[in-house]
Amino acid sequence: MLMEKNRIKIRIYRKDPEKDAKGYFQEFDVPVEEGMVVLDAVNYVTEHYDQTIAVRWNCKAARCGSCAAEINGMPKLMCKTRIDQLGGVVSIEPMHAFPLVKDLVTDVNENYETERAMPEFTPKEEKEPWIIDEMDVLRSQEFRKCIECFLCQDVCHVIRDHTTKYIGPRHVAKAASLDMHPADSLDRSKILTEEKGLGYCNVTKCCQEVCPEHIKITDNAIIPEKERAADGFYDPIMMLIGKIKKRKNGKNVE
Amino acid sequence: MLNKLIPKELLEKNIRLYMFIILLAVAALMLVLFPVPEYKGYIDPFYSPTILVLPFVGLYRLTCYAYRKDYNRHIFKHPIACSVIGRLDDNKRGYTGETSGIFKIENLHRYFLYSAIAILPFFYYDLYISMFYTGSFVLRLGSLILATNAVLITLYVFSCHSFRSLIGGRKDCFSCMHGGKSIKRVYDSQSKINAHHETLAWASLIFIIFVDLYIRALVAGIPIDHIIFALVL
Repeated sequence: MLMEKNRIKIRIYRKDPEKDAKGYFQEFDVPVEEGMVVLDAVNYVTEHYDQTIAVRWNCKAARCGSCAAEINGMPKLMCKTRIDQLGGVVSIEPMHAFPLVKDLVTDVNENYETERAMPEFTPKEEKEPWIIDEMDVLRSQEFRKCIECFLCQDVCHVIRDHTTKYIGPRHVAKAASLDMHPADSLDRSKILTEEKGLGYCNVTKCCQEVCPEHIKITDNAIIPEKERAADGFYDPIMMLIGKIKKRKNGKNVE
Repeated sequence: MLNKLIPKELLEKNIRLYMFIILLAVAALMLVLFPVPEYKGYIDPFYSPTILVLPFVGLYRLTCYAYRKDYNRHIFKHPIACSVIGRLDDNKRGYTGETSGIFKIENLHRYFLYSAIAILPFFYYDLYISMFYTGSFVLRLGSLILATNAVLITLYVFSCHSFRSLIGGRKDCFSCMHGGKSIKRVYDSQSKINAHHETLAWASLIFIIFVDLYIRALVAGIPIDHIIFALVL
């Protein structure tokens, strides 16, 4: 329809917070080549039309997560989204869940701060070297595929549209990867529930849908953490068993 | 007190929620007003073992992680879709997630799972009755439908996320336990069907309604049941 004669309309969000009060879209006409991705189109625009467009990218192989953006309203990586799957007009916006630096570039630093605030890996009191069975590390390794593009944080309606203490799917996945590690001694579901707003997640699974690494964030991280939180805060039988175990072992399970 | 019990999401004007409540109420009323008697060995699953278990089954489905996704999206519109355009989700709309009032009950999903597991054998008992009601073995179309229903519900119940947690999800070290390898194998198998939990949730819900309608049709005298195989002794 609009992708006539192998050309496409690219609408790029423009805003310089120091100059512009409001953002606006600028439209460009770009020739389409076979196998072209959105990032190619944006690079074509910066080379041929306007070099002042701010865009961040690095590997162009879906490994670094730098080129995360909202493409036709869906959070996606620009380097992994093919133009021929999108139709005639392609709108590209920055991730609006984060403070804007300029045009398509946002400041995702708050994520690194949240990550630093998470209780770190705390090994059990065992003699080193640890002998860890392969079957025990596979589960927590799934979350290590995360490339920290923060698309899941961007799509999460709790982070984006509401003011709560919820830290977001990326950080719950990080907590789950540590909690499920066989040599780790902490249970982060307590801190996730009390301080980091785990209960605000209503499992709508958008984070899982947009993850470019296909990590099952909701099924394998958030829900297991919710179930662990239920053990400690809602399930009277498990709470009683937990208390008995704690008294018996004299261990700190915080 | 009432504010603490009723989350903000339930207090906003929401036609979808009102329609859902009306539909549920009408369906429940219909089930109570028009019970289905046993018909040639067929027992309607809504009345097995008794209609009184329906609230537990209903709460199991209402607190299920699969349906939570659906009603949070399509009834409460938190968010209406993953696309970030036109979501209508903002701070002006009250949002408490699963942290307040009656929504906290979602954290007790496992107890409704236990009740669902307790009810499961009745589906297989009903299947047995449908095949042996004459005293000898008779396989009819209705029995096959009841068998499909029983299998779908079994798969739905045992693909539950809470069940996954129960059988090993909360364990961090399988190799440290007695029989850890076997437990891990069960956990991995369950994880495979857990990946289809949403599909099973909807398939089993639609199918149980179909079974109800099928048996009602038989009771009404519509000749749609056929004998597939009969063992005459």
